[in-house]
Amino acid sequence: MTMGKFLVRRILQGVFVIWGVITIMFGLRAVSPGDPATLMLGEGATRELIEHVREQEGLNEPIYVQYFDYLQGILVGDFGYSWISHREVEVMVIERIPATIELAVAATIVAIVISIPLGVISATRRNEPADYGATMFSLLGISTPNFWLGLMLILLLGVWAGLFPTGRRPVGFGPAVMTLFQTGSPGDLFTWVHYITLPAITLGTYFTALITRLTRSGMVDELGKPYVTASKAKGLPGVLVRYKHVLRNTMIPIITVLGLQMGTLIGGAVITETVFNWPGLGLRLIDALGTRDWPLMQGIIVFIAIGFVTINIVVDGLYAYLNPQVRDE
Amino acid sequence: MKGARNHQLDRRTLLKLTGATGLTAGMGAIAGCIGDDDGNGNGNGNGNGNGNGVDRDDDELTITLSQFPDTIDPLDHITGDYFDVYDHIYEPLFDFEPGEGIFPRIVEDWEILEGEGATELSIRNDVVFHNGDDLTAEDIAWTIDRTVDPDIGVVSDIGAFGLGSIEGAEPLDDTTLEVHYGAAPGLAEFEFGNYARAMNMQWAIDNHDAENEAVSGADAEDFNGTGPYEVVDFTSGEEIVLEAFDDYWGDEPPFETVTFNADGEASGRVNALETGETDLTMNIQPTDAGTIQSADDVEIRQVTSFRNIFCPMKNTVEPFDSQEFRQAMNYAVDNEGIVDTILSGFGEARGQPVAPGINGFNDEIEPYEQDIGMAESLVEDSGYGDVEIELTVPQGRYLNDAEVGETVADQIDQLDNVNCSANVVDFGVVSDANSAGVDPDTIEIPFYLIGWGTITGDTDYGVQGFFTIPDNEARTFDDEELSDAILDSQQIEDPDERREQLEEVNALAHEKAPFLFLHTQESIYGVRDDIQWEPREDETIYIWDMET
Repeated sequence: MTMGKFLVRRILQGVFVIWGVITIMFGLRAVSPGDPATLMLGEGATRELIEHVREQEGLNEPIYVQYFDYLQGILVGDFGYSWISHREVEVMVIERIPATIELAVAATIVAIVISIPLGVISATRRNEPADYGATMFSLLGISTPNFWLGLMLILLLGVWAGLFPTGRRPVGFGPAVMTLFQTGSPGDLFTWVHYITLPAITLGTYFTALITRLTRSGMVDELGKPYVTASKAKGLPGVLVRYKHVLRNTMIPIITVLGLQMGTLIGGAVITETVFNWPGLGLRLIDALGTRDWPLMQGIIVFIAIGFVTINIVVDGLYAYLNPQVRDE
Repeated sequence: MKGARNHQLDRRTLLKLTGATGLTAGMGAIAGCIGDDDGNGNGNGNGNGNGNGVDRDDDELTITLSQFPDTIDPLDHITGDYFDVYDHIYEPLFDFEPGEGIFPRIVEDWEILEGEGATELSIRNDVVFHNGDDLTAEDIAWTIDRTVDPDIGVVSDIGAFGLGSIEGAEPLDDTTLEVHYGAAPGLAEFEFGNYARAMNMQWAIDNHDAENEAVSGADAEDFNGTGPYEVVDFTSGEEIVLEAFDDYWGDEPPFETVTFNADGEASGRVNALETGETDLTMNIQPTDAGTIQSADDVEIRQVTSFRNIFCPMKNTVEPFDSQEFRQAMNYAVDNEGIVDTILSGFGEARGQPVAPGINGFNDEIEPYEQDIGMAESLVEDSGYGDVEIELTVPQGRYLNDAEVGETVADQIDQLDNVNCSANVVDFGVVSDANSAGVDPDTIEIPFYLIGWGTITGDTDYGVQGFFTIPDNEARTFDDEELSDAILDSQQIEDPDERREQLEEVNALAHEKAPFLFLHTQESIYGVRDDIQWEPREDETIYIWDMET
């Protein structure tokens, strides 16, 4: 199969996945307890007021009519209006994407910086204390729930030690970099790093543990191959063999997992963003859940699904490019 | 062959690039860590430092709410954190003092027009909007009308369909207007106190989004009130920054800059207070109170609020159609014990629909005291011995609501002749049950826990929605005697006589037991200890009441 056909097939599959997500979300809204109008208006609403809001929001229409109206809107980029702020949902989603991407990328960076050297050390010093330590670390990282780790970091490093803020995001990465270029002052950039450090560690820990294990097992496999022995016999330094040849060959599955995990990170950031009051898509989703703002909730889930599917398509494409056999599987 | 080689090289290049990205990222992260060490954080100008040695600015105040008021329309919501923010931008027309009534503010004077169902309001002539326009009586009349007249175009849902007795308003000249209402003037005054805030008519019409049927926006300049503060920065869902308005007619407010942000997590709000990231926060959980009390420079402040917690029992279905059974439910529960244990003392047991400080509160009515023998005997008298009932309880809406509900159900279940279980649900289920009315054929949940804040400060708001018949389809209790007592009170012009009638209403409600009465919730705040401020019963935070 050509690369083009492969990509077209993947994109079509992605479209069906997104349609499925939209349909499931709409189904959930239909079967969820609680009249959206009464939830919007609170305990004090009169029957007439509830009826007025139901009419205004189109909630009195048959569910299939609401569904097709919603689908029709999405096709032209209209996700409706938030029931709380009365703003356009797509605008409210898009304005939160940078914060979530910053967090996901920072968590990935934390993971890469820690996990790959740790995995290499663990693989090259098998059954030594360093290997046991790395294995223990990755086991802990995989077993520790995000929210608990976040709360512990806040308590220890934020409240008790006073080293880091306990939450929020006073400045974005983009504006911080702009300030640096415009004024030469790195203050905002430092602030950004200061505020993102704990959330990034929290979100990146599971990922770090996963990549450490993946790097270790990949390296162990590669180190046993004849070309490694040949390289060493040729007199190449051990460091060069490990990092230039062995690690490079280990990278393919790691890239795949990295890409797939980026999608997971965007979805999984919900908990971390809530714990740290980090104003990304996840926190907006939780806020929307709290106020039963269904149009906003649906919009966020659909955008996350689109992000997830897009990243998967890109990773699949890269993987197919790096390993052409994949296209025919 | 050449092409194939290039292809291979490209893949290698990609792998190299991946490695380079990782290295660069690592350098970036290391650089970031180095940046942390110099203690130069929090350079964003948000004011209050974060424990890294940044001094507090006494002219700035940060308040962390539990929910961000993500709208620009001050008449979009009835209660909640919204008023804490918007009252400073769109100030109330009157000063409302819980338990005392209304006092002049923008409205300098008012005169009840006897027998006309109207009051003439005279407003100050030196009030200007943040955009420079003068406030006129026409603005106020239009603002009132948009809460009662669905045809006005820029409708406000909060009062458009029968909330309150106010029927409309008309300007007489630039500084006087007449407000019409369909009940006693005393009741209307309580409603003025709660709902009236002035918007700039022309500005609101110009900014109205007809397709969306709302006044909406997301920029600082989308706000335009007459309050002591104007909005200088607004980030939807995150932060709203106010600065003292230079042309404000009244006293200069105590802080030059006030920042409101929000954190839905109670523990997050407590952490922010402890580390100095915020100066005042709300909805502190009883379990967190000790943490704040033991921290430096901050303290707990509390007040018994206007919010009562209770369990309505719909009397059009068995077994709640029996007054004896409903009273038995009240005798089965140890309200004092629930307040002491589950709420750590942050509440007061209650035996009537409203809290102290509300006009018409009857201070001769004591809460029902737990008496298991009496409860079992009343159940037998009701003829519903060995009945099975379920209490539906929301989670996360009120102070320790699920725990309170489960304990109530457990205490009822301890009666020999009643089996009771708790069903903990999402608030939406309870909200639906509360507005479902009393038609026995459609009632699915006849017994549930809910809270109610009597925000107008008058008993009428705490009872009429639950008990009046026949027009009120969302009522929870069908009883002509109780309903008539409420409807009569709405027409009594003499304030003292009206208050006595409302006290009767509360006594009647205690006796008829339409609710399993539980407690009045306390509002718990965490505050910087050098801020002089006392919390209010109506859950509103006024910065103009503060001093440092």
